[in-house]
Amino acid sequence: MTAIDCPGLAAPTRPRRTPRQRRDTRAAYAFVAPFLFLLLLFQYIPLAMMAKNAFMDYSLLNPDAAKFVGLLNFEDMLVFDDARESLAATFLFAFGVVAIVIPLGFVLALFLNSKLPARGIVRTIIMLPVVTSAVVVATMWNFLLDPSNGLVNGAVTAVGLPRQPFLTSPDQALVMIAVMTAWQQVGFAAILFLGGLQGVPKELAEAARIDGATAGQVLWNITIPLLSRTTLFVVVIMTVFSLQAFAPAFLMTDGGPQDSTNLIVYHIYKTAFVMQNAGYASALSVVLLVIVLGISLLQMWLLRARWNY
Amino acid sequence: MKPVLFATLIGGTALAALPALAQDAACEGEPVTLRILRTPGNYPYPAPMEAWQKDHPCVSFEINEVPFAQLADTISVQASSDNPPDILVYDGPNTQSYAKAGILLPLTGYLPEGWDDEILPATKAEHSYDGEVYSPGIEQTTVAMYYNKALTGAAGITPPQTLDEAWTWPEALEAFKACQQGEPGAPEVWGLGPTRFGNGQPGLVYQDLIYQRSAGDPDADPESSAWKTFWAMAPDGSTAEGYLDTPEAIEALDFYRSLFNEEGVAPKAGIPNAFFDGKACFYIDTPAAGSALLKDPVIEWGITPIPYFKTPVVHTGSTTFGVASRSRHPEIAVQFAVDMAWGEYAYMNVSQRGNLPTLASLFERFPVYQDYPMKVFVDQLEAWGQPRPPSPHFAQYDRIVTDALRSVAFGGDPEEAMADAEREVARALRR
Repeated sequence: MTAIDCPGLAAPTRPRRTPRQRRDTRAAYAFVAPFLFLLLLFQYIPLAMMAKNAFMDYSLLNPDAAKFVGLLNFEDMLVFDDARESLAATFLFAFGVVAIVIPLGFVLALFLNSKLPARGIVRTIIMLPVVTSAVVVATMWNFLLDPSNGLVNGAVTAVGLPRQPFLTSPDQALVMIAVMTAWQQVGFAAILFLGGLQGVPKELAEAARIDGATAGQVLWNITIPLLSRTTLFVVVIMTVFSLQAFAPAFLMTDGGPQDSTNLIVYHIYKTAFVMQNAGYASALSVVLLVIVLGISLLQMWLLRARWNY
Repeated sequence: MKPVLFATLIGGTALAALPALAQDAACEGEPVTLRILRTPGNYPYPAPMEAWQKDHPCVSFEINEVPFAQLADTISVQASSDNPPDILVYDGPNTQSYAKAGILLPLTGYLPEGWDDEILPATKAEHSYDGEVYSPGIEQTTVAMYYNKALTGAAGITPPQTLDEAWTWPEALEAFKACQQGEPGAPEVWGLGPTRFGNGQPGLVYQDLIYQRSAGDPDADPESSAWKTFWAMAPDGSTAEGYLDTPEAIEALDFYRSLFNEEGVAPKAGIPNAFFDGKACFYIDTPAAGSALLKDPVIEWGITPIPYFKTPVVHTGSTTFGVASRSRHPEIAVQFAVDMAWGEYAYMNVSQRGNLPTLASLFERFPVYQDYPMKVFVDQLEAWGQPRPPSPHFAQYDRIVTDALRSVAFGGDPEEAMADAEREVARALRR
């Protein structure tokens, strides 16, 4: 069936573009072009080069001697433990950060959205770590967690508990850097949640309260479901941040002890620059890219919003 | 007012232009700018460079500095570029890696007559690869054990001052325990202070691999574990298998682990300036610390030789410099590098920082090294000095073994850590 077979029904035609519209389009392309050029130059071309390098064996000291090794770098990820261990540490770290940040950020946002006193001070306090350099935060926590003279151990021993090794223990180091990262990021999550809370229509809660719902029921049955889009956004952002974390491993633990904090981005850096195995580092980067994309898509599907308001 | 301002501007501009004019006037050839990559406070120093420029008026310098922690990364990126620095200052043990990668020019043919007789054997070994010398070297360092005389005196300890009286590690441990003040693991004054290198955590090959190496024996049968323990890697750099997890090494590492754990006499984390602030009885460092204390004696101090298990050994090495193979001015860069490491220029460079010279004839020009305490460094260097295991894959070996030693210091199993390290080194050598 075509339009010709249906008299009276004309084929849809695109409206003619006015000279003004064409001018606007040209101007838009002119404005966007520099950004697109930079994006291409600094994002997509390096990505393509990284993908190519994943199939090469070479060192940064002598890139001219690169040789094609096929899938060897990817095979090495299966043969040796380092990639598995590093990815496991990174996922645990990301899970820890998200598990701390989401509930804490939400509670803080509820507080900031209330009419309770000292909201301004609390908002400033929780935002300070967000805007503080990761280097400063890591250095400060290094001092706080010092096994001999740290403030945290001072508090631990003051209540009669034994001194803790924290960053020098394979069992505690990953937990501590997750706590530190969560401490730094919780303010950001709280602000995002606060934005979401302020967008929830008040009428719904008021109607529910008139119908006899308690504050807890309003929170559980109305506020939290309506915040699912914000929650999705915060979970995705925090997960991706955590998967890309570098500073804690670089500045606080050197990836140790016993590789327990050898986060994948730090492992990639170490593999390329210290171990001079840039091909393998590129292969790890490709895998990380695929994982981050996959997790983001999965989370967006799982946490997709079912309500509109 | 305006004429005064104008005159000031003209005068200032003329004064600022003077040096350039003077250099242009003296230079009768093509002007050359040598680009130098170095770490802050490192050689080549301004005084010898300016003296050298008087003989080479066409040469000027452009210096770029990066912190030591970023030096190797920066070299990785810059040295293989189309326009690398002409002179690279780098960590000496990386010579073979850089030479193998082709980023350094061999200097053998340019070295002055008599250099072979003058240079310390450990320095030459470290700076050579495949029969060629790639760096003339300027200074040499090693470590010894400093002590706080007030603290050791109060504990009734008299540390030895000569090599033939040097302590064994168990004897040193007794001294650490006797001198330490407070609860093991968290004392007010530590028996053995933390390193100032890196992030202050234990495990650095330069300082801590000597524990297990000293449990070996270089005169034993080359097939024996004692011999392999001493070398910590095949002398040709081909393998580390069977060199790091020998019974002798594991026994030494058990002792090493106990310092940070069961005995609690050494901290697992860095404490800035612990020794200089009187928070540590003993402390391992290079001559640079002694030079600083001689200039500003904040504490009363002494030096005792590095303790050992069976064979005394200390690591040698320092930052050094070479000429980038892609230098746009290789001839003049080579001449500059060789000149800076020889004769008066070498003396001027070495005397700036207070480390040891690499040329034998220069030792007598440093009176401070003729007598105790600094003489301990010279004696150790001559009698016990060994380069860190030379290999074109030293950077990888260094990182892998440092991680393994650190995990032992943090309480890990020495056998497992060293077996893993051997596997990782084998993987790095495979490439």
